[in-house]
Amino acid sequence: MRSLLSTACLGAALLASCAEEPVGLTLDDLAAPSDWPGAPAPPAVLRRITQAQYENVLTDLFGPDLVVPTLVEPDLRIGGLVAVGASAGTFGPRGVESAESAAFAIAKQIVEDPALRAVLPACDLASEACLRDHLVQVGRRLYRAPLTEDQTARVLAVARQAGAALGPEAGLEFGLAMLLQSPAFLFRAELGTDGEAGERALTGLGLASRLSFFLWNSGPDDALLDAAEAGALDTREGLFDHAARMLDDPRARRGIRAFFEDQLELQKLEELKKDPLIFERYTPLLAQDAREETLALLEYMVLDADTDFRDVMTTRETFLSPYLASVYGVPSPTTEGFAQVELPASLGRSGLLGHASILSLHAHAVSSSATLRGKFVRTALLCQVIPAPPVNVDTSIPEPSGNTPTLRDRVAEHLEEPSCAGCHQLTDPIGLGLENFDGMGVWRDLDNSVTIDASGEIDGVAFERPAELSRAIRDHPNFSPCLVQTMVRYATGAIEPTEAEAALDLLSDRFAEPHGHRARTLILELVMSPMFRRVGAPE
Amino acid sequence: MSPNRPPFSPSRRHILRGMLGGAAVTVGLPSLGLFAPRSARAQESAFPTRFCLFFWGNGMLPDRWIPATTGLDWTLSEQLLPLADHQADLTLVTGHEVRIPNRIAHFTGPAGLLSGRPGRGDDDGATFAGPSLDQRIAQAIGGDTPFRSLEVGVQPGCNGMSFNGPDSRNPPISDPIALYERMFGATFRAPGEGGAVDPRLGLRRSVLDAVMAEVSDLERRVGVEDRARLDQHLTSVRELEKRIARLEEDPADYAACTRPASPTLPSDTSARPSMEARARIVAELSAMAMACDLTRVTSIWYSDPLNNVLYPDATAGHHQLTHDEPGDQPQVHEIVLSAMRSFADLLTALKAIPEGDGTLLDHMALLATTDVSFGRTHQIDEFPMLLAGRAGGRLTVAGHVRAATPDNASRVPLTLLRALGVTAGSYGEDAAFTDSGLSEVET
Repeated sequence: MRSLLSTACLGAALLASCAEEPVGLTLDDLAAPSDWPGAPAPPAVLRRITQAQYENVLTDLFGPDLVVPTLVEPDLRIGGLVAVGASAGTFGPRGVESAESAAFAIAKQIVEDPALRAVLPACDLASEACLRDHLVQVGRRLYRAPLTEDQTARVLAVARQAGAALGPEAGLEFGLAMLLQSPAFLFRAELGTDGEAGERALTGLGLASRLSFFLWNSGPDDALLDAAEAGALDTREGLFDHAARMLDDPRARRGIRAFFEDQLELQKLEELKKDPLIFERYTPLLAQDAREETLALLEYMVLDADTDFRDVMTTRETFLSPYLASVYGVPSPTTEGFAQVELPASLGRSGLLGHASILSLHAHAVSSSATLRGKFVRTALLCQVIPAPPVNVDTSIPEPSGNTPTLRDRVAEHLEEPSCAGCHQLTDPIGLGLENFDGMGVWRDLDNSVTIDASGEIDGVAFERPAELSRAIRDHPNFSPCLVQTMVRYATGAIEPTEAEAALDLLSDRFAEPHGHRARTLILELVMSPMFRRVGAPE
Repeated sequence: MSPNRPPFSPSRRHILRGMLGGAAVTVGLPSLGLFAPRSARAQESAFPTRFCLFFWGNGMLPDRWIPATTGLDWTLSEQLLPLADHQADLTLVTGHEVRIPNRIAHFTGPAGLLSGRPGRGDDDGATFAGPSLDQRIAQAIGGDTPFRSLEVGVQPGCNGMSFNGPDSRNPPISDPIALYERMFGATFRAPGEGGAVDPRLGLRRSVLDAVMAEVSDLERRVGVEDRARLDQHLTSVRELEKRIARLEEDPADYAACTRPASPTLPSDTSARPSMEARARIVAELSAMAMACDLTRVTSIWYSDPLNNVLYPDATAGHHQLTHDEPGDQPQVHEIVLSAMRSFADLLTALKAIPEGDGTLLDHMALLATTDVSFGRTHQIDEFPMLLAGRAGGRLTVAGHVRAATPDNASRVPLTLLRALGVTAGSYGEDAAFTDSGLSEVET
């Protein structure tokens, strides 16, 4: 077995952050090009940049003080991922309108605020060369490629016209506003070389774009664009170096969070409402803290612990704020903000399925839900398909009563009636295994004064309580391949399930062995694979 | 707020900076242009015909919705009682079904009725396969107003179902303040308000011309589906350009158009929104937007399909109640009444706008509908449809129209398209196809 503990750090002399690492992965630890099965790459499609990417690109370029308005065009989610919906999304009339007003709001700030303009050349805008320098520099970052002659001429014409009418600063303002509305900015065109028939490699600039949106959820920085233009990403070594550099950059933390936020639909916590009469302690603040707990743990597992990722299901390590700690019933590790803690085993709470975020998202406004929680585990964590309920049936369950005090009693009919059981047997036993957590994730032993029975079975593995259920999911044969598949879909945006099953299998196998389920290594393995680097001709 | 829009003044700062720059700068003073006359089509008729969709989520209770009597002297059913003041303006259509295979609960109904076709995709990514009714109408009559169409939400954060085409939804504005700003903010001028054309408007159109050229560049590099997406983008940019051009014209001169006061938000508890109070604000702003001819097509999304809004005193969210509330579902019933009260308030707001010898409502066609009939079982037979308004004489009121045997719900949208002047030989695909409208209300 190749050692993961190799101390050789490729290009260490050039990469300060890498040199600081005691251990480093090398290209030799990854699959060789010849290891990958030949499989047709799905045709290249445009991807709309998402709301978050729009904001990230601009604040990366101009700094966090730039106020970036929200685009009205909502992100589209397909097959569970916004990253995939981006391959079908468009800008409708309202989206285009909001992109226009956002463009001017941003351009105006840049023109008026010397601090924001500090990233641009210091020159007199009244001169044509200066105006051009400004627009070409910003344009390259927004378009993720140097402007073509046509594009330069186009934006300069607009800027000149505005400058002549309203003054040189208006020239810059209107020029920037044009760049910010261009489809070259709003759509990612990772298409390979134009005109080439059949499957093709992404160009250096296309790779730079795909890489930075995958790892940073933002566009390439100048260093990456420079490297792409110099051909540095066209070699395996060059691509690997840059991917490793980017994973060590703080922006990778944002990128990792964006991936899991998408997979787990955590942004839904912003809108999630609970009945205040039943869940008195559920507040928007709790939802916000719960989301942070989950993202902090995932970020830690991938980028800091860098150990077996499956432990995210079972670990008692987590990150708590004082409020969250009080909801979980443990001493707060801190008086303010978040801190890492190890929950006591006696608490019964461990891993992702012990997080208030997941538990409250997959529940009703007034109660828990065995079906919603089970469906989440099956679809998001195990990548299984649960058909929607048949539309013309009565799906109601009885109210709590003497005969049916607990949710297990109330859903019994769903689990027995043949027309329901087909699907509910897949979901409800899992959710019933989490019944010790109420609709917002607070631990309880009783439901309507009756002791909760959280035992059950998932695909042949029996469990008695939530922590054992989490262990069974961690060890489920689908769990880590599901992460792999989700990550490939996230990175490539492929709408149709990829035809590259053999490649997915290889990636899943290598994720397990030799990589020991280290997610950071999985990311690098994926980046270096043909799935990431090649596309089919647009169809 | 000042009733007059301040005339454009070139920024002193721009001129100053130009001089301080030291170079020989020519600072072009913008010409204080005059507004162009309104385009000929916009002036054509004294009062244009407008369309409004009112949509609430999660259906009704058929036993308490369908009235016992039919015809013009029908007796309102229990769930329609809130509309008593407007009975003379209403046509209730019952006994009609959405003839699309009911595969996506809460989605097939509106996809079938409002687009005539099955929806596409799964729960999460479900989309209409073509434009929704409001957008088909907007394509025909939305071009002459500053806003091609207006989508408004009552339920906070709702998504609505106004589709331009597949995967392209027009998100409603569900924040009343944002709605006010959009309609009556900086770009609004009431009739008679002076001012000069902002030179930035023309420059903004130049920017959009350049953007369109970039879209065309990109179109040459992509596959068929992406070309369709970029065409959609191009259409949207073109529409924005037209909208800006409208701002360079005189505003419509309708006597009833005045600048409304900025709304005061009801004090919601965040978990239980004051739906009816919000709906009244939305109704009044939408009515004035149409009175001022800012738009001729409005869709009001009282609540989304599948919405789980917690109503005052309800023991669970709306959708959960439709499935789990036992017995004859008194809480679900109360929520339907709440939606109908809001629809009644909308009609009241439209009737409060005098237009010629009548009111705004006389120059409108409204459809109120939802996503299912009986929510508990997601049925799409007995599909709830309420019509209001006379569409400038193209529609009449027929009271309760009940099909003797189940009929095709597509007849209603077909009639509406025709009443709004859209050339449409038929409506709906396959089993949902019809080429005959609802003759009872056609004149």
